Order: sequence, then C-alpha cells, then structure tokens
Amino acid sequence: MNIITCFKVVPEEQDITVKPNRDISFEKAPMTISAYDLNCIEAGTQLAEANGGNVIGISVGAKKIDDSKLKKNVLSRGPESIFMVADDKLENIDTYQTANALKAVAEKIKDYDLILCGEGSADLYAQQVGPQLGQLLSLPAINSVSKITLADGKAIVERTLENELETLEISLPAVISVTSDINLPRIPSMKQILAAGKKSATIWSAEDAGIGNLSATLGVIETKAPEQMDRKKDIVQGDSEEAIKSFITKIQEVLK
Amino acid sequence: MKVFVFAENQKALLELCCGARQIGERIEAIVINSQDDKDTEVADKVWSIPQQDNAMLEDYTETIAALLEREKPDLLIFEPTKRCKLIAGRLAAMAGTSVMTDLIELTKEGEGSHLVYGGAAIRKEKLNTSLAIATIGPGVLQGSKETGKGEIELFPFVEPIRKIKVLNKEQKPKLSVNLPSAKRVIGVGRGIAKEEDLGMIRQLADVINAEVGCSRPIAEAERWMPKETYIGVSGLMLAPEVYMAIGISGQVQHTVGMNRSKVVIAINKDKNAPIFGQADYGIVGDLYKVVPALLDQLK
Ligand SMILES: Cc1cc2nc3c(=O)[nH]c(=O)nc-3n(C[C@H](O)[C@H](O)[C@H](O)COP(=O)(O)OP(=O)(O)OC[C@H]3O[C@@H](n4cnc5c(N)ncnc54)[C@H](O)[C@@H]3O)c2cc1C
Repeated sequence: MNIITCFKVVPEEQDITVKPNRDISFEKAPMTISAYDLNCIEAGTQLAEANGGNVIGISVGAKKIDDSKLKKNVLSRGPESIFMVADDKLENIDTYQTANALKAVAEKIKDYDLILCGEGSADLYAQQVGPQLGQLLSLPAINSVSKITLADGKAIVERTLENELETLEISLPAVISVTSDINLPRIPSMKQILAAGKKSATIWSAEDAGIGNLSATLGVIETKAPEQMDRKKDIVQGDSEEAIKSFITKIQEVLK
Repeated sequence: MKVFVFAENQKALLELCCGARQIGERIEAIVINSQDDKDTEVADKVWSIPQQDNAMLEDYTETIAALLEREKPDLLIFEPTKRCKLIAGRLAAMAGTSVMTDLIELTKEGEGSHLVYGGAAIRKEKLNTSLAIATIGPGVLQGSKETGKGEIELFPFVEPIRKIKVLNKEQKPKLSVNLPSAKRVIGVGRGIAKEEDLGMIRQLADVINAEVGCSRPIAEAERWMPKETYIGVSGLMLAPEVYMAIGISGQVQHTVGMNRSKVVIAINKDKNAPIFGQADYGIVGDLYKVVPALLDQLK
C-alpha cells in the first residue's frame, strides 16, 4: 500500500506583515507546511500505521521549497520519502498548474493506491487542487472528507458537507481531500525527528518532471490588505468599578 | 458575455442568476430536472438535465462538461458549496483552467477578488482562458430584477465514467440560531476558562437580545460550541449591527468574519490584544468581572 500525501509549502501566516501602502510583505515569514496539509500527512500516516504501507510526501513549487528543515519536518511526521519538483518556473503557480505538476510527480512514482490532499492551502485556500488532480489522473476525486477507513481496494469515507453527512465507498486509487477535523497532527517525538534525517528526499527540476512549459491560466492583478474600517477605538483601561461603569455608559447608547 | 449558472440550492440559483445580470448579457441556468416555472423567470434559458435515480450531484459533472463543450459560455458560476467546488474543480481540469473560488467581488471584466492569507489580504485575479469558472456567494452580486425569456431545453444525461457509491446520507441537525441574520452577535473566545461559563455569556446575550457565536478554538479545539457557529475566514462571515467580542484576541482569521459589523465592542484583559484596534468601544479588563457587571446593570 503506497499512500501519497501532498503538501504545500507556504509562508508562515503569523509572520506576514502589511506595509503602509497595504502591500503584503513576506520578508519576516519563513516557509512552512500549510496547516491543512499537516492533517493530510497525519491521515496518510495513520492509514499506513493501521493497514501497513508506505507514505510518500510530495510537493511542487519554487526552488525555496527545497529546504532541509522543512523536509525534515515532513519526514518526522511519518512519510518514508519525499519527492519534490522545486523550480523557480513553479513560483506562484495556479491550481491547474499545481494539479498538473503533482500529476507528473505521481506518475513518476507510478505505484500508488491513494493520494491525499489537504482541503485547501493556508495561503490561498482555493480548495481546487484535489478535485483537479483526481480529474487529471482519471481517478475518483472527493473533497471535505473527515474520516477514512480502508478495506480491500476501497476507501470508506465520511464526508462533512454544509447540511449533510455522507458515507461513501470509493474504489482505489483515488484522490481524497481531507478537512482539519480528520485528526490532530502529531507532535513528532525526538526519535522521529532523528529518524527523519536518514530518510530520502528526491528533488526534480521542472524539466526532469516533464513540466517545463506549463503556462498559467490565472493572472494575479494585485494582492492588498483590506482597507481598515474607521473605528472609534474608545477603550476604557482597567476593570475597577469606576471603569466598568464608564464602559457600560458608553455601550448603553449602542445597546438601546 | 454569456454566463452559465449552477447551484446546489434553488434559492442560490435564483439569486446568482439575478446577480449574474451585472456581469453578462445572457444568463443561462443549468438545473437538474427543471419542473419549477420559477427557474425560468430569471434566466434567458434553462438547461434541464433529467434527474437520475441514486445519483449524487457530482455525478452530473460529465453532463455539464458536455453542455459547456457544446454551448461555450464565457463564464460559469457556481454556488460556493463543497459539492459545487468539487464539480467546478473537475470541470476546470477538463477545460484546462483554474477556478476563482469564494469570490467577494466579480467585475464585468471578469476580475474576481477573494480573501487570501487567512483574510490578511484580498487578491484580485483574472482567468485568461476562454472559459472562466468561479464560485461566488449569492449575496455578492447585487441582483437586478430583470427577467429572462425563460425557454427550457432538455440536455441528455451523460453517464459518469467513475461513480462513487453513497452508503449513507444523513441531514445534520438544524441549528436553532441563525447568526448571519442576527442583528446583534456576541462572539466568545478562549478568554473563557470553562464550558460552564458559557452560561453567563448566554444570559448576557438574552439581556441584550443577541445571538452567541465564537472563535474557532472554542468550536474546534474545545468543542464547547457547534462548529457552525464560529466566526472568521473559515467559518461565518457576519455583518451585524453590534458585535461584542468577549475574550477574543482578534487574529485576522477571526476579524475578517466580523469587521463589517456596524459597531464593535471588545472585552479583553490584554491591552495589546489586536481586537482593540478594530473596536469602537472596549474595556481592558477581566471578563469575569465585566460580564457579571453588565448582566447586573443592563438587566
Ligand atoms: C488557516 C487558519 C484559519 C483560521 N480560521 C479561523 C476562523 O475562521 N475563525 C477564528 O476565530 N479563528 C480562525 N483561526 C484561528 C485564529 O488564528 C486564532 O487562533 C483564533 O481566532 C484565536 O481565538 P481566540 O481569540 O478565542 O483565542 P486566543 O487568541 O487565545 O485569545 C484569547 C483572548 O482572551 C483574552 N483573555 C483571556 N482571559 C481573559 C479574561 N479573563 N478576561 C478577558 N479576556 C481574557 C486574552 O487576552 C486573549 O486575547 C484560523 C487559523 C488558521 C491558521
């Protein structure tokens, strides 16, 4: 049983800053594993632990995603190996390009039974790569999955929708996008972190992966922080009886 | 521009069709088994796909693909539900394009805006393929009432190649609160120490006539409140008349869900909590002192 877990490398959200002209700055933001993909990797690892098998982590993006600390982080969470296309040709690619690049990686790996994706990436959250990847590989694709069990060539999954809960049977191989509810990603143990150093990572260029000239379908016009609403910012300091009273007087107007 | 519209819910279909008039000259709706005359009032044409026994909505993807192939619309818009996003993604892969998801704005020129980086920024983007696909909330495109011609044409079902078997399906229990339509909302965050303390918050809500929502950790980590009640980029996007944040720090992922509120009131013991930067009124204090005092004096 080979389980491919896809992960996106994104700038650490907490460290993204807004410039006075409302541009976004990533200068202080280190690259990290997209939050939902931690659930994806954990789901793959738990399935391999329960059913036997091998977890492979795959990612595509600019050259900077090939970062040793980051790869070690992924490998300490269960995957036995990593395959990446890290090439500046893949900087800021759209979901169609991403799905095509992941398809190329999966096809190079060849032997797999299940591909897992996070429901959406922490940066753009388009929630499109899983569905597109499934379609491109001519495999069944399903999203919003909050539980997976495996049984003879099939996955039984629970899917949490807006108003419904579904239990589905999907023949493998398939591409499944998982939500953050599916598990609580582990905190790797010292042993797992040390073991990660001995695991393998294979890095390809876009040429190697045969995706040297994927053109973009989506153009980005601008990315700006939203304009702040003007607020009164009438803040009472401290919670003495006096202070609370003054606060209540202020909000009583509003709550009339 | 010729715009096709597909939705999971009838109400959303009607709203999206009306709204689509802001963008395109010709609006055509894709409907599973159209019987309702109401469908035809808002679109220039309705494509009716015969309903199949035991089919998931996703099983109509190949049929929609065949329709797109033949009719070549410029833009296809979807209601932003999970099912629609799956269908949209698969269609995009077939058509060689991407999907602009969860748009908060869409212009005549086809420029779509959506929240990125957990709500820290808005990205404006545009597809450069002959077919553009977007998912967009019904409320986003302000509807015009202009009616269409309302012709219905049957489009034959195309059998999907790969089917997923539905073993079981249940409705989620309906929530008793309707936060998006509440005039006043209290949002409660990690500042509360235990689940029982929600009782005091609910009492306050009763007193000021508000509904209670929460930050994500209260729903997802603590599970003290239903998941459907958390506010923010991955939950509810609200714009009540009054929003009172109690024990909420005000991270951007949360504030994008409440920053369109008319008046924001914050109670937090940390004077540096970012919520104060987004508040009209606030108090730097212990909610366990402030809330009982509010209860006492507002009653
Ligand atoms: C991809 C992603 C998506 C996310 N989506 C959402 C989302 O949609 N919605 C959401 O809410 N979050 C979301 N989050 C989480 C978000 O980043 C914050 O972690 C979360 O909003 C914090 O919740 P909180 O304010 O309740 O908790 P905290 O940040 O822990 O804040 C608790 C606050 O309570 C105050 N406090 C403590 N005790 C008291 C007291 N006795 N009296 C008064 N004040 C007190 C503290 O000073 C503090 O400011 C998301 C995160 C990520 C990574």
